Amino acid sequence: MPVVDSPVTRLGADGISRRFGPVVANDGIDLAVRAGEIHAIVGQNGAGKSTLMRIFQGLDQPDAGHVIVDGLPVRFRGPADALAQGIGMVHQEFMLADALTLAENLILGAEPGRRGIIDRRAALDRARQLGDQAGVDLDWGQRAGDASVPDRQIVEILRLLYRGADTLILDEPTAVLAPSQVDRLFGLLRALRQDGHTILFISHKLREVMALADRVTVLRQGRVITTIDVGSIDQDALAQLAVGETVEPPYREAGDGVGDVILDVVGLSVAGTGDRPALDQVSFEVREGEILGIAGVAGNGQEALIASMIGLARPSAGRIVVRGRELGGHSVADHRSFGVGYVSADRAGEGLCRQATLTENAIAGEQRQLAKESKGWLLPGRCRQRAQTIVDRYQVVHGGLGRPVAELSGGNQQRLLIGREIDRSPSLLLIAQPTRGVDLKGIAAIHRELLAYRQRGGAIVMVSEELDELIALSDHILVLCGGRAMGIVDREDASTETLAPLMVGAAAA
Amino acid sequence: MMLDNVLHAAILATTPILLAALGGLINRQAGIVNIGLEAMMLSGALAALIAAHVSGSWAVGLLAAAVAGLVSAAPLSILVTRFGANEIVAGLGLNVLIAGLIGYLLSDFYGVSGTLRLMPVPTLPRIDLPFIAGVPVLGAILSGKDVLTWAAWILVPLTALLLTRTRIGLRLRACGSSPATANSVGLSVPNLRDGATLAAGALAGLGGAALSLGLVGLFSEGLTGGRGFIALAAFYFGRNRPWPTAFACILFGFFDAAQIRLQGGGLPPELVQVLPYAVVILALTLASWRRRRGPSPEP
Amino acid sequence: MSGALPRALEDGLRLAMPFVAALLVGAILLAITGRDPFSTYAELFNEALGGQSRIAATLTAATPLIFTGLATAIAFRAGVFNVGVEGSFYLGGLAAAWVGFAWIGLGGTLQMLAALGFGAFVGGLWMLLPGWLRARMEVDEVVTTLMLNFIAIGIALWLVNGPLLAAGSANSATPMVLPEARLLRLIPPSTLNAGFLIGLAALVAYGVWLRLRVGGFENRLVGLNPRFARSVGISVASVILLAIVLSGVIGGLGGATHALGVVGRFSEGFSPGYGFTGIAVALLGRNRPVGILIGALIFGALTSAGTTVQLFADIPLDLVQVLEGTVMMLAVVEAVRWARRRRAVRAVAP
Repeated sequence: MPVVDSPVTRLGADGISRRFGPVVANDGIDLAVRAGEIHAIVGQNGAGKSTLMRIFQGLDQPDAGHVIVDGLPVRFRGPADALAQGIGMVHQEFMLADALTLAENLILGAEPGRRGIIDRRAALDRARQLGDQAGVDLDWGQRAGDASVPDRQIVEILRLLYRGADTLILDEPTAVLAPSQVDRLFGLLRALRQDGHTILFISHKLREVMALADRVTVLRQGRVITTIDVGSIDQDALAQLAVGETVEPPYREAGDGVGDVILDVVGLSVAGTGDRPALDQVSFEVREGEILGIAGVAGNGQEALIASMIGLARPSAGRIVVRGRELGGHSVADHRSFGVGYVSADRAGEGLCRQATLTENAIAGEQRQLAKESKGWLLPGRCRQRAQTIVDRYQVVHGGLGRPVAELSGGNQQRLLIGREIDRSPSLLLIAQPTRGVDLKGIAAIHRELLAYRQRGGAIVMVSEELDELIALSDHILVLCGGRAMGIVDREDASTETLAPLMVGAAAA
Repeated sequence: MMLDNVLHAAILATTPILLAALGGLINRQAGIVNIGLEAMMLSGALAALIAAHVSGSWAVGLLAAAVAGLVSAAPLSILVTRFGANEIVAGLGLNVLIAGLIGYLLSDFYGVSGTLRLMPVPTLPRIDLPFIAGVPVLGAILSGKDVLTWAAWILVPLTALLLTRTRIGLRLRACGSSPATANSVGLSVPNLRDGATLAAGALAGLGGAALSLGLVGLFSEGLTGGRGFIALAAFYFGRNRPWPTAFACILFGFFDAAQIRLQGGGLPPELVQVLPYAVVILALTLASWRRRRGPSPEP
Repeated sequence: MSGALPRALEDGLRLAMPFVAALLVGAILLAITGRDPFSTYAELFNEALGGQSRIAATLTAATPLIFTGLATAIAFRAGVFNVGVEGSFYLGGLAAAWVGFAWIGLGGTLQMLAALGFGAFVGGLWMLLPGWLRARMEVDEVVTTLMLNFIAIGIALWLVNGPLLAAGSANSATPMVLPEARLLRLIPPSTLNAGFLIGLAALVAYGVWLRLRVGGFENRLVGLNPRFARSVGISVASVILLAIVLSGVIGGLGGATHALGVVGRFSEGFSPGYGFTGIAVALLGRNRPVGILIGALIFGALTSAGTTVQLFADIPLDLVQVLEGTVMMLAVVEAVRWARRRRAVRAVAP
């Protein structure tokens, strides 16, 4: 595809490629963001969005191709270079210094004043003025670490405006916001467009893209699939483009749904930061051969729910009963010995130990049992044998059991992780984001594995941000919002239409 | 008067610790724990003595001390900011390296082992305040103090202002609080941290000069006697804020003076010497206890 | 399989790099001060390894470093930055000396074993506080263990100047330990003693523990990724506490062998910084048994050679300190560059 060489191209990419070892993150990307538009980039996890944004900030350099600014190729060595061209970015994890006040964060790097002394009055005046423009009233003297998430986000946007940026890149800005806060953000972004700002908006939430953007570029596996006016496409078609070949809904035998109760959760609460509990009086039960899906906007209590059920977080109230045994507040080891398995959403940071070998990862958690079988010795041969079993059974493609897990692809890592947990035959499997960052073939394999486990009578509690996945696999779906259970939807009634209102806090019908 | 004597000595004993602690504080605010203060003080102390002796001027001695402290801080800083060295081990290594280097050079150039006496050495002039000197307590506190002591105490509010009211101070604090943020707004974190470490080196070097030119008028390998670590203890205790850190320094200076003067009157001197270190462990424990009593963070 | 040899080679290079760089720094210093670096190093080498008595001196000098290096490594591997081995070494040495001279009537080998055991016990006890603070209260162990060094030295000094001061002695030292408590001299008249063998045995035990015991396995996983360790059911707090206390036990045992094997009592200036050199040894040896042994031998050779070279060739012993400090500063650079490469790999995959 040729570069869209329009005189109004504000920011663009000309054949940008970037590979990391065997992984091609960006593969000849052409992109043209017009001045004054809101341009969305959509794509699944691993489609190459983040890499492209890093390149737009000079945080990473392309192997081939150029960043284009105002029609000309440029080379950014860092965010400062980008900012000098009027291009700023709001990152997913906010870039504010917690120890500094909001006002100090605003002016950092371009402080008003003379001879090195900060003119605090001028700083505050300018801050208030920017706040007024954006229609927000902030406590500028507040430490950033104490400020609310939406306020921090607004300050980041205002900081870019303060620095004179006319082009804003926002990376998944709504992932951390409640629906009303999303509205406020979108209001601000539309107002900015009105003033002539250019906005590049990265998201995988298609509804938001449809609501906000003028044009949208679809990325898939590091390539641009198309760039299209939002007005000329509907959400389903866009979804089709982003996903590519659709995943065959996995074959799923109907369960009889009358097995024994494996997990009984009653009035479970977990303390959060500040006054609001992370989890508030949630009750449900899961039976043998049942998959309970947990739906909700990210950060609405899913993590606290899973963490308390595996013993990583202590419940502040309520009971967690597994096969008749009260487990709330016990250690992780106790939970596991009572038959709870856990597949973390953070595969690289928590689920696996990337520097450790396949063998070490495969037996981790089982080491005491293995040692007990050999008079206290953890024999390398036995460990390898155990690892080999898991690797074979769950078809993990690897370069040697003694190699670090970091060398595996995302999908193989996830198979190793899920295999390790399922192979210990837990009565209850807790699994979060089972297919995050896994390619389509891998997704299908993982879904098959989970369903097979269910068929053998296993109980699963599954958190996922992919509604389609929840709907395809779950027997029931519990919807969380603000730490509270908004309702449990049966499989027959589960659809985006029925779940979405619950996810934003509307009471169940 | 006993009290006056102790006060006077305590304030003089505070000076080297305070100077080094202010340096370490700035360093820590920028995100680096400086374990090499001891080495920087030691090289400052030696440089001050030699330069003052050769030039006949204490001012030149002070300048040399600051430069020597700065130069010894440079390798530490570069290894930490450019090569990702662990600041703790590199700092400990610097202490060993500088102590060795100084010992080597002393025996090579002066043929002495451990202690260097140079005659004559212009020591730091002390400023007697005519009317206040006679006043009990106040006189002991204010009068008869050398220039470095005055400078150190003037630096306390100046450091506070530097950190809160100036561009460089704000940027240093940003480096310490969130290097990624500082980077994202176009600041060079390594450069700023180098600046902070070099400043710490210069201040610690002056602290060393306060020992060799202000207190004793000679140099010995054990001259600093762990004061670099006491300074570390002070800014940990003061949680990197200038006034509380200065308070910790005066407290430790008081221990120092009391231990010499109050012998037989209570604890043995060896145990008085360890008080600053014990106080820091206590302070860290209390801080953690307070933190944990607050709302428990989500796992 | 295929990776085995290059990895060993790589390890060897990593071990050598900071040391070679330090020799360069030392060479520059020697050249500036008008000495010939080559002949100086040749002399150092000769003094370290030339003949049985010199080798014995080197092994003697390496002995405390084996213990402090190992003690440091156990903690480092669990991700605990214990820089307080010096304190354990001091107090362990004092405790052993006390048992050695004061517990009259135990007699025979029992006297020695009691002294060694008590030294190790006190060394471990000393680390209980920072261990507990780190494991349960999340207090940064770097500062607490660093501060505890000074406290330990202060307490030891107080004891040898007061309650435990040898009668009629002006200098700060305990009485000599009973002959039964002394460790066996291996090659008289050199001071090489059974402490070296105890050190080797400790290294072997450590190697076995690492590879074949649950404790070693959990220690490694906690050090690599505590969140992961927690999620698979390992009690991270217990592992950390165990690591730091074990570290103290080994440090204390090192002090005990030094008191009973070399010094014969406890005296002021008992350790010229063995605990800190141990950090360099552990880093240089990448926390592995063989690496620690090599690191300890290198520094032991430098120390023993430096002592005699100072006497005969007018090269200040401080040269050894310069080399040691440089190695410490550069050893971490290497370690971190290696860690960073690992991190880079981690950052790559989506």
